[in-house]
Amino acid sequence: MAEKQKFKWHSWATPWVLIFPTLVGLVVFRLIPIVSSLVLSFTKWNLITDPKFLGLKNYVDLFTDPDFWKILGNTLKITVGYVAGSMVFGLLLALLVNNKIRGMNFFRAAIYMPVITSSVAVGIVWTRILGPKYGILDFLLKKIGITAPYWLQDPKLALWTLTFVQVWKMAGYYMILFLAGLQSISHEVIEASIVDGATPTQRLFRVTIPMLAPTSFFVLTVAIMDAFKNFELIYAMTMGGPQNATNTLVYSVYLNAFSYNRVGYAESIAWVLMVVVGALTILNFFIKKYWAQPLE
Amino acid sequence: MRKLLVIALMTILAFSAFAQGASEKKAEEGPITLEWWTWDTGMIEQNQSIIAQYEATHPNVKINNTVIATDGGAYKTQLSVLAQQKALPNVFMLSSGDIEEWASNGLCRKLDDLVASDPDIYKKFYESMFTSLKDVAKTDYLPGFPFAYVSCDLFYNKDAFDAAGLEYPNENWTWDDFLAAAKALTIDKNGDGEIDQWGYYGYGRYAEAQAWIFANGGVLTNNTTHTFEPNQNALDAIQFMSDLVNVYKVAPSPKDMSAIKYKTIFPNQIVAMFVDGGWFADDFRKNIGDKFQWGITRVPVGPNGQAKVTYGWPDSYVISPFTEHAQAAWEFTKYIAGEGIGLDQFMAGKMPAYKALVESDAFVDMTQQPYGDMQLFRDHASDTFVTSYTQGWSEWVGYGAAESMGLNGAIDSILNGETTLAEVLPSLTESINKILSRYY
Repeated sequence: MAEKQKFKWHSWATPWVLIFPTLVGLVVFRLIPIVSSLVLSFTKWNLITDPKFLGLKNYVDLFTDPDFWKILGNTLKITVGYVAGSMVFGLLLALLVNNKIRGMNFFRAAIYMPVITSSVAVGIVWTRILGPKYGILDFLLKKIGITAPYWLQDPKLALWTLTFVQVWKMAGYYMILFLAGLQSISHEVIEASIVDGATPTQRLFRVTIPMLAPTSFFVLTVAIMDAFKNFELIYAMTMGGPQNATNTLVYSVYLNAFSYNRVGYAESIAWVLMVVVGALTILNFFIKKYWAQPLE
Repeated sequence: MRKLLVIALMTILAFSAFAQGASEKKAEEGPITLEWWTWDTGMIEQNQSIIAQYEATHPNVKINNTVIATDGGAYKTQLSVLAQQKALPNVFMLSSGDIEEWASNGLCRKLDDLVASDPDIYKKFYESMFTSLKDVAKTDYLPGFPFAYVSCDLFYNKDAFDAAGLEYPNENWTWDDFLAAAKALTIDKNGDGEIDQWGYYGYGRYAEAQAWIFANGGVLTNNTTHTFEPNQNALDAIQFMSDLVNVYKVAPSPKDMSAIKYKTIFPNQIVAMFVDGGWFADDFRKNIGDKFQWGITRVPVGPNGQAKVTYGWPDSYVISPFTEHAQAAWEFTKYIAGEGIGLDQFMAGKMPAYKALVESDAFVDMTQQPYGDMQLFRDHASDTFVTSYTQGWSEWVGYGAAESMGLNGAIDSILNGETTLAEVLPSLTESINKILSRYY
């Protein structure tokens, strides 16, 4: 009886009342913008007049524009480079700082610092470092008789240089994720492998990396999401150039929406981006079945 | 009972009508509130001072000033949203690059009737700027009120000219004179095989490239067919810019200068001459100080160009076509473009539309650089103003976040020696015409 009285206030509406603020937030700030974005992608809208329905024209224009395929290619290249670079460097850095020696916290903090630094500031500094003639790297390479290439001005190099800077900036974040994974590996397992005579390389590839599988999967998922967030660095370093070499879907959405006032067209690019990210995420979860199973 | 009810209702109705009448009378007599939108975040305090002075002499008018930076398109985006809702501020700044599109969509109040009601308007303001604004907007009516004009000119390092024993540039300079000076000013000072001082630097952006193009009588677009049709003079100008880098080697390529912040190149004496917007006068006053002497003159006239044809654009206020207080907005606009402002509202090198300011002694400030060369901006007032603005201009020229694209991107590639004008022109023309065809 006493138990019943405790929940007297409860009615069928109670959970709805409790989740109402969240529901409002989701509908107003997520669902409505998403649906609006989809609807707008079928319109011509320059912001200053009413949108005009165009049907599939934006998508037809998009898929028949050679620049779009170049931009999509750039986006996928950056994604592959960024995800691979982030995972490799993140893991290497985590292995380096996974030692209990004096001052290690300083190095961990120093490596993490670029993560919390403004992307625009990072972009400007790296532009000064990599710039030809008057750049710091060019100056140093000249001292040892090497002529530096045009890192950000050569269309063949610019995209990979940009990817490198993005990896450099975010590697500290992935280092922290891998470090957490490394520190959760039981010492007993490592010690057992040592007793069994495993070399350090064998321990890394046969014990540590397999046991990091769940962490690696999480890092992979996060890195794929992050790979598409490259607007600030592109804006600060190359503005999509030279010759569209570093233009990506995200940057193209910005250009079309806010520089060219082609909001409807920008939305159609945004939806292509959504499909790409969605497809990669689904693929990721499919791969998970075969990869990130906890060890028996 | 029914009678009582009728009397009560009649009484309520009578009071309501009275109250309504009183309310309307109050609205007529009460203060008018004008919304004033600007983009210069450095002028917030000055704007409040202007408002205080204006409200003191116009007790029936209240002004609300909203200042939004243009960074990242914030100003334009917010203004556009209000335009779509037909809720524009009464008076607002609008970029020359947008005014044609806004006017063609009926978002700029036609000001001709208001101008006609003020016979002294062109005694107080430069008519040439009003004409230029109509040219920019491609309208047969006045879509806004220009408050300043921005011209593009040649800046030069006087100390470098003195050291090379050269005469300073002047209005009569030809491209040959310019080239000869640029060659003499390109110097490897320490003999290490690296140029320490370049004769010239061409940024390749609109304010530089189009200054050369128009100085040679160049035309980029056909305003009848609304297509990109650069004439031979325009192509010759681009070729001349390319030759300065790739043939005469008197200017570094844009990619070679990418490690240096653009606006520090001239103050750091890496180049002896450069062309850009007159507003750099303000920046150089602050950043060069007395480190070296510098001057300003016109961009040299090309072999097919005409003297006193100046590339630039007006900065303008627009009055909302939806405002119910057009007369009040007009009076306020005249005030903020004219008698209500001082020279401190303008960056040095921008030419106010208000004649009294330009003709004041303070305009040619003989206490700081470029001293008497500021007279150039007064002289511009009688020039023929030319621009390249069309709808979609930002996209086809490559402006702001798109500066590596469009015409600017192509000029970059040419100056960088990666392609030639002849190679890039067919694809450039095709892509620009594709953009223009979306608007016309």
